Amino acid sequence: MTAAAKQVPDSEWLAKLQSGHRTTLARAITAVENETAGAGDIISAIHPHLGHAHVVGFTGPPGAGKSTLVSAYVAELRKRDLTVGVVAVDPSSPLTGGAILGDRIRMTAHTGDEGVFVRSLASRGHLGGLSRTAARVIDVMDAARRDVVVVETVGAGQSEVEVAEIAHTKVVVCAPGLGDDIQAIKAGILEIADVLVVNKADLPLADRTVKQLKGMLGLTKREGWTPPVLRTTATTGEGVDTLADKIDDHADAEGGLRASPVHRVQRLLAGIAAERLKRRIERQDDPAMTELCEAVLRGDVGFDAAASRALELLVKSKD
Amino acid sequence: MTAKREPVQLPLPGLDRARAEWRQAYESQVPGEDARSNRSGIPIKPIYGPDDWDGTAYMDGLGYPGQAPFTRGIHPSMHRGRPWSQRQLIGLATPEDYNTRMRGLLDAGVTALSLIPCNSVYRGFDVDEVDIELLGTCGTTVNTVEDMEICLDQIPLDQVSVALNDPSPFTLLALMMAVAKRRGTPWKSLTGTSNQSDYLSHFIANHMFFRLALPGAKRVLMDHIMFMNREAPRWNPISVVGQHMQQGGATPAEAMGLTLSTAIQYANDLVERGLSPDDFLHRFSFFFDISISFFEEIAKFRAGRRVWTSIARDRFGAKDPKTWRFRFHAQTSGVDLTRQQPLNNIARTAVQAIAGIFGGLQSMHTDAWDEVLSTPSDEAARIAVATQNILREEAHLDDVIDPLGGSYYVERLTDQMEEEIRAVIDKIDAAGGMYAAAEAGVVQSMLGDSAMAFQDRVDSGEQTIVGVNKYVVAEDASHRPTLERPPEDVMNAQIARLGRFKAERSSDAVSKASDALVRAANHAEENVFGAIVDAADAGVTHGEICTILRRELGFGQPLVVA
Amino acid sequence: MTATTHRMPLARPPKVLVTKIGFDGHDRGSRIVAAYLRDAGMEVVYTGPWQEIPFVVNLALEEDVDVIGVSSLATDHLLVPKLMDALREAGLGHIGVIVGGIVPDDEEAVLKDAGVAHVFHAGSSREEIVASIEELVHTVRAQAA
Repeated sequence: MTAAAKQVPDSEWLAKLQSGHRTTLARAITAVENETAGAGDIISAIHPHLGHAHVVGFTGPPGAGKSTLVSAYVAELRKRDLTVGVVAVDPSSPLTGGAILGDRIRMTAHTGDEGVFVRSLASRGHLGGLSRTAARVIDVMDAARRDVVVVETVGAGQSEVEVAEIAHTKVVVCAPGLGDDIQAIKAGILEIADVLVVNKADLPLADRTVKQLKGMLGLTKREGWTPPVLRTTATTGEGVDTLADKIDDHADAEGGLRASPVHRVQRLLAGIAAERLKRRIERQDDPAMTELCEAVLRGDVGFDAAASRALELLVKSKD
Repeated sequence: MTAKREPVQLPLPGLDRARAEWRQAYESQVPGEDARSNRSGIPIKPIYGPDDWDGTAYMDGLGYPGQAPFTRGIHPSMHRGRPWSQRQLIGLATPEDYNTRMRGLLDAGVTALSLIPCNSVYRGFDVDEVDIELLGTCGTTVNTVEDMEICLDQIPLDQVSVALNDPSPFTLLALMMAVAKRRGTPWKSLTGTSNQSDYLSHFIANHMFFRLALPGAKRVLMDHIMFMNREAPRWNPISVVGQHMQQGGATPAEAMGLTLSTAIQYANDLVERGLSPDDFLHRFSFFFDISISFFEEIAKFRAGRRVWTSIARDRFGAKDPKTWRFRFHAQTSGVDLTRQQPLNNIARTAVQAIAGIFGGLQSMHTDAWDEVLSTPSDEAARIAVATQNILREEAHLDDVIDPLGGSYYVERLTDQMEEEIRAVIDKIDAAGGMYAAAEAGVVQSMLGDSAMAFQDRVDSGEQTIVGVNKYVVAEDASHRPTLERPPEDVMNAQIARLGRFKAERSSDAVSKASDALVRAANHAEENVFGAIVDAADAGVTHGEICTILRRELGFGQPLVVA
Repeated sequence: MTATTHRMPLARPPKVLVTKIGFDGHDRGSRIVAAYLRDAGMEVVYTGPWQEIPFVVNLALEEDVDVIGVSSLATDHLLVPKLMDALREAGLGHIGVIVGGIVPDDEEAVLKDAGVAHVFHAGSSREEIVASIEELVHTVRAQAA
């Protein structure tokens, strides 16, 4: 907040950011994360300089060892002499808005290495496993000329779809034997996963999980890129070099293009608008709404038709 | 099993009527709901009677002391014939200070010694590797076989039992064995305990112990047990530490359940090493916190003995009744002590100590009242010892074995605690055992939730803490001792001594022993603890041993569960 | 969980780093305080024990925190003045620093002299801790603006 709010993001500021000045980067992130007064200027200033970073999203159920895998992947990138930005998203409490940001602590191995910059974000009630401003935070890291920006989601059920909006390469991580989780995530996941990883591959059931995933992939044919199913043991680093190779391969295959920014913004707007609509319908307090709900309860009206009607009521109530 | 016993209605004529009349009279004095529960969440009734416990299951559930299931005590004579040992943990800056204080305590009637090393030792460092501010504030700086010789000067190692607060990789023990070897004291005559051998509790509750990564810690512990079983069979190589669990936030029932689950893990690991439970279970000992929740603690220990018997006998099929005995050391809990009105802590410690004695402990440490303010002063440490002497010799608490046995309340509560303890063990079993549960953070979350729940009770005033959330008085702070940090020149002298030791030792012997340690660490068929003992004897320092193992076996990062 | 009812007139949630430096690993207190702050709507970067000063400084920088809370129960608190020097050297002198745990009276003065804003002792209430940190965040941000 401090310097970023005061400092107009001029060319000197930009040079500082691009040369890797860490405090400048930290404060710019604070500004865009919180949409402070200076945020707009920063976003305009960096806009022409985006597109350097390869953005890699890691998602998957809790307990799959995402943070440890991200840390091992970062170490691998550093071996390859690439600079890295990490955005780790932790959930905010829906009751109080507070959050414990603990994920980054599994990445202690990179302390003292200026080539790694880790930032935690609280999801702040935003559904979808990221925070509302995560995409902008990634942009700032991109503008700061980080070669790779790794985004780790909270691991909520719907995170994969949103990661798809902002990451070039989507890595879906699961642990052996999380059969139910695989069932639960498979719906949306196979369309978006570019690389599937079975982490904790030293555990029993790893083979079976790999087989299951491959089987499920076989059912959904995709054009061009065929998502590989990899095995890693993040704690020892085993398989992480192959993971890094495959992520590279994917970037090459896809030409390194992120989803178009306009499309991305449109999707984000849709998400925010949907939340607002939901809240308003829930709070809608008029006899017509009550009547509509009672009709549904009686079975006189189907849910689909009733939902359309609810939207109409909402529009009317606005008048 | 005993826990599921249904109360039997005895034919007691007039009982129902008397109870109904009492209930009415009671409610006229205590109108409305007065729901109470203990720290383990067990509801506490205003009175217990024959319908809670009727004695018909006496032989199954209690028996006599020294008889399975040992609920009433592990020895036939308990504190009459086997008084509890008074073990005071002494942490003093230099080996010389330690030796002086220790010999004084032996003269004062203490029958067993403890050694608390400096926090730098706990964390795996020598004195020359850390900030000098951190040295010697909580314990003795012991890095070399020379330091250990000074600590143990004129202390007959074959006559005094020594509890070493010595986490993995057990360098203090290795140094002590090197001293014994030099003195010609046979290892077979050594008695005592590796008091901090429980790496799983260190991993779960953090505290301040040096930790290898879990697989390495497991390996070193197993090698340590195998080595001591063979070379010093009177040594207790494993002490499972429930204290860390309870201090970390576990309820008394959880602490007992988690501790027993840890013991199950170690026993399974040893069976996997090819040992039979009859070979090692009798060497397991336990270490607990005694909170101020008086009856709950007594029931915790009584139930713990009963559950352990069934674990050793039924789960592991051990035949030797010695293995069914649940031997434990306990320490009055520092968590209950307060900075406010600190002399009140003397009263708290006494209550905790009584619970421990009635709970049938084998050895006890009573906290000094000033422990919450700083490292205990001489006078406070003396009061702590005196507390035990007063309870035994003035109050005669050792006259009767298990004096609360047969109390309707205590027997019912013991049964209920047993149920809670078994539920915890089942939960850990379901998570794949203690190792897997610790690795996954299951236990850490349990502790965090319970710590928070207790704190909520304190914050809301439901749980009184005198001087903190009730009966607060304006205080004269002059009672408060200040922390005596050792003068810097004293610590500089320690660093200098270490430097001299390193310069004078045989570098050839050191490099050979270090190489052997590296090799042992990387070869599963070698005994890594044997190599540690050899290294200590060859003059390799504590910090150097830890550095080698940290490198070869990996460091145990804290698992952060917030 | 009883959330405190403090109003939050700040433009964004307070961001607090809760950590332990030195040897001591007793983390029950720091975990409880982290939960207090979360329940008061703050964003808490929580590290667990045994952190080294350069690590804490780097974390504070990358996360752009308002306040650092150091928990110490076993004499490690005398490292805090060194932490404050390191923060100033890294250009992070604006960050408020508080200490909680077991700190003897005479050494509390040493910490205050070094610029520690508050020392919380065992038995400090939730309200006291939350209110002081909120206050401190206000001060820190006002000075930075």
